[in-house]
Amino acid sequence: MRRFLLRQVLLLLALAFVPAIGEALYFRNRISWQSPVPDSQLVTVAKAKGWGTGALWVDARPDEQFAQEHFPGALLLNEDHFNQQLPNVLAAWSPDKKVVVYCSTKECGASRAIAERLRGEAQLKEVFVLEGGWEALQQAAKK
Amino acid sequence: MNWFWRVLDIVIGGIFIYAGVLKVVAPVRFAGDIENYHLIPWTLGVRLAFYLPWLEIFCGVALIVRRMYAGALTILLALIVVFMSANAVAKMRGLDIKCGCFGHASDNLGFVSHVALNLAILAGVVLLMRRTKTAA
Amino acid sequence: MSFTKYLLPVLIGVCLTSFAYGQLKFEQTELELHPSVADANAVAHFKYENTGSKPIHIASVQTSCGCTVATLKSNDVAPGDKGEITATLNIGNRTGTQTKTVTVNTDDPAHAQTVLVLRAVIPTLLEVQPIFVFWKQDEEMKPKVITVKAGKDSPVTKIAVTSSDPDIAAKVGPGDGAKEWKISVVPKEKAKLHNATLTITPDNPSNPPKIFYATARVINPGGDR
Repeated sequence: MRRFLLRQVLLLLALAFVPAIGEALYFRNRISWQSPVPDSQLVTVAKAKGWGTGALWVDARPDEQFAQEHFPGALLLNEDHFNQQLPNVLAAWSPDKKVVVYCSTKECGASRAIAERLRGEAQLKEVFVLEGGWEALQQAAKK
Repeated sequence: MNWFWRVLDIVIGGIFIYAGVLKVVAPVRFAGDIENYHLIPWTLGVRLAFYLPWLEIFCGVALIVRRMYAGALTILLALIVVFMSANAVAKMRGLDIKCGCFGHASDNLGFVSHVALNLAILAGVVLLMRRTKTAA
Repeated sequence: MSFTKYLLPVLIGVCLTSFAYGQLKFEQTELELHPSVADANAVAHFKYENTGSKPIHIASVQTSCGCTVATLKSNDVAPGDKGEITATLNIGNRTGTQTKTVTVNTDDPAHAQTVLVLRAVIPTLLEVQPIFVFWKQDEEMKPKVITVKAGKDSPVTKIAVTSSDPDIAAKVGPGDGAKEWKISVVPKEKAKLHNATLTITPDNPSNPPKIFYATARVINPGGDR
């Protein structure tokens, strides 16, 4: 009886793999297997800095925080004043530039929201979210 | 009383098929729901998001067609236990999140009714198991 | 299957512990808000009551993003006292459904942390798609279309468009639906680089009026480095 049961359990477990793998293959390009944000849309501080003038830095934090301090050359673009601030960012953009969006920390969602809108509404192709945000930029500056 | 067990088979099987299908059509969202629990890393959660719904569907179907019946019941019991424990752990940690068990069809259910629903399903599964045992 | 005999009490135990709320009880930990198109803020009131017998100290209230501010009248809640945490989401130019959380930490050991969820469904006044069009100098200056749609409950009935650059023309025409328009944008010349801000002004009476912008550029084919 025990062995009989075990065999059924194993068989069912195995059966479910078949469509699951099929579905996973179907979705393979639409989901990230490594982190909640697709890898292709995340960039590390070192890599983004390596792009040099090929990167267009966008600060997605609130106005006051940007006014206090921001990454050299970064342009302000947050959801509080998205409509007014966007033309400024688009004026600095060119097709050979990669947009790097950051907000305050690893958890902040603002950079993702802004990146999403730049891709969707402005139809920019190469838009990246900076891993670790402003916090990571400051840590990198200390080293 | 035989008809009672048949109906229970179909109801429980149906619930799991329904829950499974809801998630199969939106695996990305289900992966996000799993992530919300903060219990397992994304790399594992995202894989489970593709696998678990199918497992629910297969076991639900097994209950209804009565093939691999005992095996399906065992898996379903394990699944519901995992769901409920994850829910309870999340609640204790103060995470007020959507369970995700029924995709987003249960968004409007409160936590208490969610637990009640889970308990009812659990009771159904346990009843069916006891019966298989006595029948066997 | 004797294990069900042991497993069941354990399970019920697990479920019951999840019911063991702290003394600080919230009426609702999740609120959905439906601000109107004219609202600048979405405000959620999370009401609580100390149902226990000991005073509770609310140590901190943190919001998930700078755009949400949570306020609290008093940090100390005596037994039987009621109060509320007010969470204000600054709508700004946010769109869609915004989900923000407020984390409340107390000294109540049974339930030290509560996460309050504010979900605001922000109505769409106008949807401009795409918000950016450009031409490379070496391509043909064909008109490009920007579609403007008014949201379901939007009071907008008419839009006006102006271009900041006289060499880039923008004209509003009817769209596919009743509350839809098509802005046809075309540069009149391409010898020079152009950068026009198109100002889209709806006729809605909101105060201050919400204005939308789109950008149209003529750019250097090799980028402008």
